[in-house]
Amino acid sequence: MISYTADWSLLTPEIVLAAFALLIFTIDFMTGVKGHKPFAGRLSIVALVTAAVLMITVNGTQSAGIGDTFLVDPFSTVVKVMILLGAALVVMITMYYVERHEDVYQGELYSLILFAVIGALIMVSSADLITLFIGLELLSISAYCMVGFKRYRKQSAEAAVKYIVLGGTASAFILYGMSFLYGLTGSTSLTVIGGQIGELFQAYPFLIMMSLLFILGGFAFKMSVVPFHMWAPDVYEGAPVPVTAFLSAISKIAAFAVVLRLFFTGFGGIYEEWAFLIAVIAALTMIAGSLIALPQRNVKRLMAYSGIAQAGFLLVPLAAVSTVDLTISVFMFYAVAYMLMTIGAFAVITAVTETAGSEDVSAFSGLYYRSPFLALGMSAFLVSLAGLPVSAGIIGKAWIFIHAVSAGYLWLAAVMVAATVISFFYYFRIIHRMFTQPGEAEAARTEVAAALEPGSLPAASPGIITVVAFSLTGTIGLGLVPFILTNWFTGLTWF
Amino acid sequence: MVSLNLFLALAAILFCIGLYGVLTRRHLVIILVSIELMLNAVNINLVAFSSIGPFANITGQVFTIFVITVAAAEAAVGLAILIALYRNRSSIDVIKQDLLRW
Repeated sequence: MISYTADWSLLTPEIVLAAFALLIFTIDFMTGVKGHKPFAGRLSIVALVTAAVLMITVNGTQSAGIGDTFLVDPFSTVVKVMILLGAALVVMITMYYVERHEDVYQGELYSLILFAVIGALIMVSSADLITLFIGLELLSISAYCMVGFKRYRKQSAEAAVKYIVLGGTASAFILYGMSFLYGLTGSTSLTVIGGQIGELFQAYPFLIMMSLLFILGGFAFKMSVVPFHMWAPDVYEGAPVPVTAFLSAISKIAAFAVVLRLFFTGFGGIYEEWAFLIAVIAALTMIAGSLIALPQRNVKRLMAYSGIAQAGFLLVPLAAVSTVDLTISVFMFYAVAYMLMTIGAFAVITAVTETAGSEDVSAFSGLYYRSPFLALGMSAFLVSLAGLPVSAGIIGKAWIFIHAVSAGYLWLAAVMVAATVISFFYYFRIIHRMFTQPGEAEAARTEVAAALEPGSLPAASPGIITVVAFSLTGTIGLGLVPFILTNWFTGLTWF
Repeated sequence: MVSLNLFLALAAILFCIGLYGVLTRRHLVIILVSIELMLNAVNINLVAFSSIGPFANITGQVFTIFVITVAAAEAAVGLAILIALYRNRSSIDVIKQDLLRW
């Protein structure tokens, strides 16, 4: 038996967040089905920011845990603060969105977002298969509901069905892999598994490899990595826009964090066996994501493929490991940059698509003449996603590139450059549209002609402006002075 | 004493049947049932390892309880989404859900 003294105070931020989520849930059904409920949104933002502050003040950079069930270390704290602040930005986008949609139940969406965030937090903090699974499912099941939230829209229901069928299958794959890990070690703790994995691989190479592949396959789905990426474009297109932002920023980063923990702590002993596999998957993901994004016309679908390509970049550090601490620093910087630019881009996309009433790329035509701030912000996010100066994106990509080269993965670095060059085409197509006035012919051809009149500003609320300004400051700021984060990250002992 | 391998083989067969069902069936309810089949294959694995595995202990059965609970939650949400889909499209044949494609 493992005996431990449980220090439940480590769970303070999660408990506070859960209390707020239940409170919002209760207030929601006490105030009736209909009507706008902006207070629920404001309360969610307060809850998320409170949890983030508690995370920094109570947990700090200490390393402690409740057995292996719940770990608090710099890795989990940094990821969790990122997730909480990102979720607060997503809630602001959500408030803008639900104000314009009478048919959406207002309060439930906020409590679902909070529950999903709690799931992500638990998942990131866990070093035990059971807690990891519970966190993962709390996140996934909340996300299934959120995707199908606009239930009178056919696309939303269809997206939810696709998501739950494929997501449930992915969960079953992860569990099947985990059941063999448990059976061969007799423990669900990742540290215990990690301690025995080397000898076990000698004794049962096929079983361990099979279990690794099952777990990797399941999580590749959650991270939307080739060849398990096919759900992402459909679900992103069908889901309400703020939910798409949530899936592509928060859900994805949480899945990546869990994969890092799982592969370094659990499978670290057989690194040679999986590094090349991850490298191949990363290369395929970058190339496929970038190539399929080229012909897309729906902007949410385009962002889905762009997100797939970005997931490939995020996988590169995992393949090319030098030291664990440095690898996680490299990953974490790009994760911060990715989150900022994705959420910022989705804030602009929400404002533009809601005003134009269309998700076609042509909704962006002449945005600069209608709303210069949104257009400039969007350009900065796209430039950063593409990986050009001056932005957080290029620093992150350059760091990953240098890291891959110094780890000896020259071909992977070359694939990175190729995928980046391809990505210029689709990112710059949007930028080009924003800065050119729509011609007569095109304005007549698009269904959104009325919304494209020079005088019609996208009705951006203070919330959207705040999100864009925050993300813009972060994206440009990290591009100008990346040393604030890089110095701090490289000095940390993550696990 | 039945050997562990028989249980593992049973679980593997169940898992494959479930996966086959998910991939080939057109009726959404059957697909959800197939997912449950895959999760139950995992449960058989865990319980077998927990009672006659090389390191038999109670943890596997605790894990199974969690898996069953989560599977129930997932099925509930799945059926709710299925009803939403049926109200929109008057059909739950997955082949006909083709609004979203690249």
